[in-house]
Amino acid sequence: MITFLQATVEGLSLAAIYSLVAIGFVLIYKSMDVLSFAQPALAVVGAGIISALAVDRGFPFLPSLIIAIFLTGILSSILERTFLRPMVGEPVFSVAVLTIGIDILLRTLLDSWIGVSPRYLGDPFPNYGTLGSFNIGGINLKYLETSALLTAIILISILSIFFKKSKYGVAMRATSFDQEAALAQGINVGRIFGLVWFIAGILAAFSGFFMTGGFNTLSQFSFVKALRALPAVVIGGLDSIPGAIVGSIIIGLTQGYVAYYQFQLESIIGLSLGNGFSLLAPYLIMFVILIFKPDGLFGTEEVERV
Amino acid sequence: MRGRPGLYTNYSKESAIFSNTTQKIWFGVVLLFAIFLCFFASEYWILLLTTALLYSVACWGLNIVSGFAGQINLAHGFFVGIGTYASAIVGGIASTSVIGYELDMVFWLPLSGIIASLVGLIIAPITVRLKGLNLGLVTLALVFIGSHVFSNFKSVTGGAGLGRKVAKLKLFGVDLETGVALGSYFLDKNEILYLLSLILCVLTGLGVKNLVRTRTGRAFSAIRDGDIAAEAIGINIFKYKSSAFALSSFFAGISGAMFFTVSGGVEPGTFSLLYSIIFVAIVVIGGAGTVLGPLFGSFFYTLFPALILVALKTFEINEQALPLNMGQLERILFGLFIILFLIFEPRGLWGIWFRLRNYFKAWPFSY
Repeated sequence: MITFLQATVEGLSLAAIYSLVAIGFVLIYKSMDVLSFAQPALAVVGAGIISALAVDRGFPFLPSLIIAIFLTGILSSILERTFLRPMVGEPVFSVAVLTIGIDILLRTLLDSWIGVSPRYLGDPFPNYGTLGSFNIGGINLKYLETSALLTAIILISILSIFFKKSKYGVAMRATSFDQEAALAQGINVGRIFGLVWFIAGILAAFSGFFMTGGFNTLSQFSFVKALRALPAVVIGGLDSIPGAIVGSIIIGLTQGYVAYYQFQLESIIGLSLGNGFSLLAPYLIMFVILIFKPDGLFGTEEVERV
Repeated sequence: MRGRPGLYTNYSKESAIFSNTTQKIWFGVVLLFAIFLCFFASEYWILLLTTALLYSVACWGLNIVSGFAGQINLAHGFFVGIGTYASAIVGGIASTSVIGYELDMVFWLPLSGIIASLVGLIIAPITVRLKGLNLGLVTLALVFIGSHVFSNFKSVTGGAGLGRKVAKLKLFGVDLETGVALGSYFLDKNEILYLLSLILCVLTGLGVKNLVRTRTGRAFSAIRDGDIAAEAIGINIFKYKSSAFALSSFFAGISGAMFFTVSGGVEPGTFSLLYSIIFVAIVVIGGAGTVLGPLFGSFFYTLFPALILVALKTFEINEQALPLNMGQLERILFGLFIILFLIFEPRGLWGIWFRLRNYFKAWPFSY
């Protein structure tokens, strides 16, 4: 029972991290029909800036976190303005490949900066409690994971209020509904695109921090973790924010449970699933769900004109 | 119709593989030049050209499914991997850790293609139901599933970090690894590989050119331009989409079988996401949906590092003086080229070539 609860908690905190990246994906997809493969790279950029400021320059942690998140957001909107704005109206596939190009660009620069040995982010979380974790009823909780969960909940509620109440939130929803009609209503669609990428960049940077913080460390492989938010988006449906959250929870829990129960699973099937199967399980789930629901669980079915 | 190469009096003439004499002559000249290069180019360039030829075989495959049939496929590297391992099982040498049957190249080359296309057919029920970005994401998942399987299926792949030897070059019982004496001239392994790849490349290139003008090729373009409309005019979507996948996987499998014979060994970590993306990028840079595009793209991609080296030498820049090493520099420029081509020349290198050709065709007039 304790193992189960432990797996659940760890799965949920993973879900929180994934949901931040996933919401970024969905926001961008909804507003400009672009699937941004650059999002994982942006997450790692955020973590990299924190590490550069807090560890290399010796800044205090909290300001460098805030600066890093802000800078990632800015970088994200600069990327949109320079590379994606000229591509408005091009086929989705070309734009997706273009974001892959951006991803390669960012990642190569980062990899050369990160180097071979993993980097720490200089966050205080590992120093709290025993090795950065505390114990409730036998369940081992990490401060970093708990704060990831809390941050995700707070950020998601702020975002949902922002979309419902604020002027720009409403403008964003209008833009995602119909770009031309939004333009006709006097909404500056270009500015909305920039804002969407800014928010997506901020979310990516947050998740980048929680992915690489503490003992997880920032390495050349960190970006693969962020890429695992993609199945979450697909399961939920590319254009649904609640879908992204549900998808992230599914993916996070699967990963948590498989990590803890792989041995039992293998003895039931009678087949070795191999090392690191828990990292693969999300993709398999995505496969199965897409067979039955090609648009994801919450995605709206695309209406096509012939 | 002398002197009017653009005038076609019947359909079969227009849709011929070489629609006029100029094209035939150019094809012959390029082919002769390519054979000539085999005997006079240095080893370094022969290896590069071999890789380029094999890349173009694989990219023609991707071009069938992505360029002609319009289905996004990010898992082309996975199918290349399937081909590599299929050929390694059939034609490789068995050892204590891996299996291999040491068969002739006559068997392993076609078999690697067939097995890869079978895998393509197996996943067809999923890929056919999806379209657009969802399809791209599922094929992305395939890359990860593939690399997991490759690194854990130790009896076939040798396991992550270790790898195995690939198929032996043995054609009709003649061992080509040590080289063959051709009269007074001695062909070594790399030259043989180059010639084999050249034959493969020419055959597949002509095959693709032929495919475009057949019923199947027209069905592919119809599906790309609007699959619902294609279905409405009676094209069997399931049949053609899955055959596009199978065909492209066949090409990938064959090129995969040949790819690693150059180095002789393969490690499962090779077939990563970036490896698959290389193919997509080559097709995009070359020009998707054209026959010559992937060829241009492959040569551009493989000869590009050599060009950087030449540029560094001519400007007398020391490699160590750069903030990035060669591999990183290459990758950054590679990423930049993807972006720049998509923004400024969506038709890729083929588009540039097309405009140049038309410019000189009408020269000195502007059109």
